[in-house]
Amino acid sequence: MDSKLKSRSRAALALSLASAALLTGCGSGSSAPAAKDDGQPIEVWARAGTDAATTYSALFKEFTAKTGVQVNFQGVPDLDQQLQTRAASKKLPDIVINDSAALGNYTSQGYLQKIDKSSVAGNDAIPDSLWKETQGLDGSTYGVPFSRQTMVTLIRKDWREKLGLPVPKTQEDLAKLAAAFATQDPDGNGQADTYGMTVPGSTERGYFGWWASSYLWQDGGAYLKDDGNGKYSASASGAQAGVTWIKQQFCTPGNTQPGALTAATSAATPFFQTGKTGIILTGPYNFSSFDASLGKDKYEVIETPKGSKDNTVLAEGENIYVTATNGKKDQTKQVIDFLVSPDGQKAGMTAGKQPIVRVPVNSGVDAAAVYNDPRWTVVQDALKNSSKSFPSAINFVPIKQAAAEALNKIASDCAADNVASGLKDLDTAINNELTSQNAKS
Amino acid sequence: MTQTISRPKARAAKPSAGARFDTALGWSPRLGPNMVLRILLCVLVFCIFALPFVAIISGAFDRNSSPTDISLLPKSFTLRNFEAATQQGLWGYLLNSLVVAGGGLLLQMTVSVFAAYSLSRKKFRGQALVLLLVLLTMMLPEEIIGIPLSLVLGDLPLLGISLRGSVLAVILPVGIWGFSIFIMSEFMKEIPGEIEEAARLDGVGEFRMLFTIILPLCKPALGVIGIFGFMMVWDQYLLPLIAANDPSNYTLTVALSVLRNDTTVGPGVLLAGALMAMIPSLLVYLFLQRSMIRGITSGATKG
Amino acid sequence: MTTAPTKPARSLTRAPDTGQAPARRKLRNSKQLLAIWLFLVPAAVLGLYFKFIPMVEGIRLSFFKVQPFLGDVFVGLDNYVSVLTDSRFMEALGHTVVLGVTQTLGALVVGFALALLLEGQARSLWILRTTIFLPVVTALAVVGEIWRILYFPTADGPLNSILGWLGLGPMQFLNGTDTALWSIAVVGIWSGAPYNMVIILAGLTGVDRSLYESAGVDGASIWQRLRYITLPALRPSLVIVLTLAAIRSLRSFTEVYVLTGGGPAGSTEVWMTRMYSLGFQRNDIGVASAAAVLLLVVTLLLTVGTQLLGKRKAAR
Repeated sequence: MDSKLKSRSRAALALSLASAALLTGCGSGSSAPAAKDDGQPIEVWARAGTDAATTYSALFKEFTAKTGVQVNFQGVPDLDQQLQTRAASKKLPDIVINDSAALGNYTSQGYLQKIDKSSVAGNDAIPDSLWKETQGLDGSTYGVPFSRQTMVTLIRKDWREKLGLPVPKTQEDLAKLAAAFATQDPDGNGQADTYGMTVPGSTERGYFGWWASSYLWQDGGAYLKDDGNGKYSASASGAQAGVTWIKQQFCTPGNTQPGALTAATSAATPFFQTGKTGIILTGPYNFSSFDASLGKDKYEVIETPKGSKDNTVLAEGENIYVTATNGKKDQTKQVIDFLVSPDGQKAGMTAGKQPIVRVPVNSGVDAAAVYNDPRWTVVQDALKNSSKSFPSAINFVPIKQAAAEALNKIASDCAADNVASGLKDLDTAINNELTSQNAKS
Repeated sequence: MTQTISRPKARAAKPSAGARFDTALGWSPRLGPNMVLRILLCVLVFCIFALPFVAIISGAFDRNSSPTDISLLPKSFTLRNFEAATQQGLWGYLLNSLVVAGGGLLLQMTVSVFAAYSLSRKKFRGQALVLLLVLLTMMLPEEIIGIPLSLVLGDLPLLGISLRGSVLAVILPVGIWGFSIFIMSEFMKEIPGEIEEAARLDGVGEFRMLFTIILPLCKPALGVIGIFGFMMVWDQYLLPLIAANDPSNYTLTVALSVLRNDTTVGPGVLLAGALMAMIPSLLVYLFLQRSMIRGITSGATKG
Repeated sequence: MTTAPTKPARSLTRAPDTGQAPARRKLRNSKQLLAIWLFLVPAAVLGLYFKFIPMVEGIRLSFFKVQPFLGDVFVGLDNYVSVLTDSRFMEALGHTVVLGVTQTLGALVVGFALALLLEGQARSLWILRTTIFLPVVTALAVVGEIWRILYFPTADGPLNSILGWLGLGPMQFLNGTDTALWSIAVVGIWSGAPYNMVIILAGLTGVDRSLYESAGVDGASIWQRLRYITLPALRPSLVIVLTLAAIRSLRSFTEVYVLTGGGPAGSTEVWMTRMYSLGFQRNDIGVASAAAVLLLVVTLLLTVGTQLLGKRKAAR
C-alpha cells in the first residue's frame, strides 16, 4: 500500500514538473517578430510622471486635431522594466520617447528600427551634432532628437548675499562658498545646520557617476574616451585632478550634505528644497518644484564655475525611437514630423505645467523667448557653448555604475591616499565592460 | 465536549489566581513592582516602534518636511500634500489596491486552507516533498520570475487567454502563497487527532470536517494568514507592474515607489501617500488580532 | 519535569488504528486519497501556472544570452561563471550571510520578548500591539527615509543626540563603511520583530494553561516555566519563524536599496542589489537569472537543513 501510494505521488510530481517544462517550451520560439500594422491607433510610450504625462497628452491632442491620426499615448514611469516585459512577449509599443543614452542599450537588444534621416521633415533644422548622438555602433541612425537640456548650478542667492560673497567663477570659489554656507550660518538661525552642496553620492542607479562627470570634464578628465569609429577606452586614470577635488568636498565636513555617500537624488534633493544646503548641480526640470518650495527669488541659476580647463557640463535629452515591431509607417512619419516641427516643439514646452521639451532641438525655436525666463537662457547657452553628453551608441549604464562604485569607494575613505589606485581599478572595470560590449578599441 | 473534561476546575473558583496563569510570564493584573516594570518596558517599546510614525504624520501635513530632523508637530501645517496626492491620482490607485487586496486575500486564504488541510490532516507519501514545493514557491526571488511570469500573464499556456490589464492578473498569482499554506498546516498539525476521529465515526464528510471542526480550532492561524496575506498582496510591487496594461492599473504601492524617484514631487506627498497606504493594513490588523489573542472562550477549546 | 510532554493528547493521534477491518480501511484509504488530491488541486493549478512554469523558464533563461528580438543564444554556464567570478558578488555573498544571520536571530529574540511582554487581553495591550505593528505596515521606501533621518550622521542627528546624552558618539551609521551593514541590520530587526511577534503570539494561545497552574503549584520559577513549558510548546511557531525569516533575509533588497544603495564603498552590497545592478540595469536577463538560481539553491539547502534540524530535535 505504502509503496503504491509512494509511486503514485512520485508520478504526479514528475508529471507536474514535466508539464511545466513542456508548457514553457511552447512559448519560447526564437524567431524575430515581424512588424505589421494591426489597425489600432499608434501606440506611443514615454518615460513620464503624472505632470509630464499631462503635457504629452495635450501635445498629442493637438497632433490629432491637426492630422486626424489617433494616438494611444502612455506615460510610463518605470519605462525600462515595462519595455523588458513587452519585449519578452515581442510586442513593443510603436514609438518610445526616452533618454538619448538609452540608444546603445536598445540597439544591442535589437529593439529599434533604423531611421532614414532625410525622410524626417525639417531634419536640417536639427543640428548635426544632435543627429550624431542618434547613431548606433554601426553608424546608422536609430532615433530622432526631441529635447535637450544641460545641468546647471543653482545657488541660494539670499544666503550668498547675506554672507557678502561673489558669484563663484571657479571650482575653488564654489568650494569656498560651500564651506562658508556650512560654517557661517547663512540662514541666521544660530545653529550649525546648513551645508554646502547637495550631492547624490549613492551608487544606486549610478547616480554618483552621473553627478561627477561634469566636474571631471571641467578639469580635463573623463572616465571614458571616445576613440572614434564606435570604439571606446577607459581613461579614468587621467581624471585624478577632478576626482581629487570631489574627494576634498566629501572630506571637508559640511561642504556636502551629511550622508551624501548613500543618498540617491530622492534623498539628496530635499536638502536644497528645504534650505539645508545652498548649492546644487541639477537639471532645469527642478525649477518648478524649487519655485514652489523655496521661492523664485531665493535662488539663482548661474553659468557653471570653471574647473582648471573649462566649464563643461553634462547634456542630456530625449530621443524618439521607432521600435522593431512598428508597422505603421505613415502614422509614424506624421508623429515624428510633428514632434520636431516648431509647432510641436513649442507645444512640448508650454502645453502643460512641466515642459517635456526642455531646450528645443529645432534651431528655429528659441527657448528663452518661449519661456520668457532668463534662467532658460543660461541653460540654452550652456547647451550650445559648453556641454557634453554621455556616449549613446554603447550601453552606458554599466559604465556609469562602475564609475559610481569606484568614486564612492574613493570618497568614503578620507584617510587613505586612494585616488590613483581607485581610478586604476575603475579603468580595468570599464575596459572589461567595453570588451564584453565589443566596443573596446 | 472535550472542553469540560480537559479544563481544570481552578479558574471559576479563583478568578484572580487564574489571571496569573493567562500569560507565559505570569504578568499580574494588580499594581505592584511587577506591573510598574511592565509599564516601563511598554513605554520604552512604544517609543522605539511607534514614535517614528508620528514623524510620518507630521511630515504628511508639513509644507516642507525636514530631511535632517524628526519633528513631532508640523512646522507649517498644510493640506497641500494631500491635494498634490489627489492630483497624482493616488486615490484611484488606492481603489485598485483595495480591489486587488480584497479579491487576492479571499482566494489566497481559501486555497491555503484547502491545501493545508490535506497536507496536515492526511498522511500520504511524498508529503514532505509537496511541502518542500510549497516552500519553494516562496524562495523564488520574484525579480527573476518577473519576465517569464509576464509571458504567462499575457498568454496563459494551454488556455491562450491574456490576463494583462485585468485585476485577475494580480489576484490569481497571489492566490498561491507558500507562507499561508505553511503556517496553516503547521498549526493544523497541532490539533489532536481524536477530535477528528470522533467526528468521522459520526459520519462527518470532508468539507464539514474542515469547516465546522478544524477551522474553528485554527482561529489564531487564520488571523495570522489573514494579516500577512493582506500585507503580502498590498505590498506587491513587481506583479502589478508587469500585470498592468497602462499606469491606470497601478496599485498604490507601485505608485508610491514611482513617486519616490520623482524629485519634482517632493517628500511631503510621498509621506501623505504612505499614510494613505498604511491605514487599510492597520485596520485589518486591528480587527484580526482578536483571533490571535487567547480569549476567554477560545482558551477553553484547546489543551 | 524535564520531559514534561507539551501535548499529552498528541501521542494518541499517531496511534495506529488497529481496531478496523482491513477492507474498510482500504475503502477509506482510496476515498482519503481522492480527498487529499482534491484539496490540493487549487493550490497545484495556481502554483503550476504562476510559480513553477515561470521558474522553469527562469532556469532555462539562465543558460542563455537573452535578447528576444535577436534570438536567444545558448551560452552554457557562461552566465554562472560571470556571476561567480565577479568579485563584488562574492563580497555581496558575505554581507548577505552576515545580514541574514543577524537579522534572523535579532528579530527572533526581539519578537519573542515582545510577544511575552504584550501577551494578554487588556485594552491598553491591544492598542500597544497595534502601534508596534506600524513598522510592518509602512511602505519600505518610507521606512528607509525615516531611518535615514534617525541615523543622520551629525552630532545633532536624532540617534546621535541620544548617544550624546549617554556620552557616546557621534556615529557615522549608514555613512561609515564599518557601521553601515549593522545599521541596516538594526532596521531589519526593527521591522521584522513585530512580524515574528504576531506568529509567536498566535503560538502562545496554544500553550496549555493548566500546565502553568500546576507549575505554579510545584513552585517553579518563571524561568523554569519558560524553559520547560512555554518554549517546548512554541517549537512549531519558532520553526516557522526561523524558516521564514531565513528565506526573507537572504532576499533583502528594498531596505538596502533605499537605505544605502549598496554603499558606502560597497560595504552593504548584498546578493539581490548586486543581481539588480549586474542583471537588470544592463538588461542582461541571463546573468540575473543565473544569480537568482544560485540564490534559490542556497535558500533551498538552508531550508531543508532547518527542517531536518527541527525534525531531529522533535524525534529526540
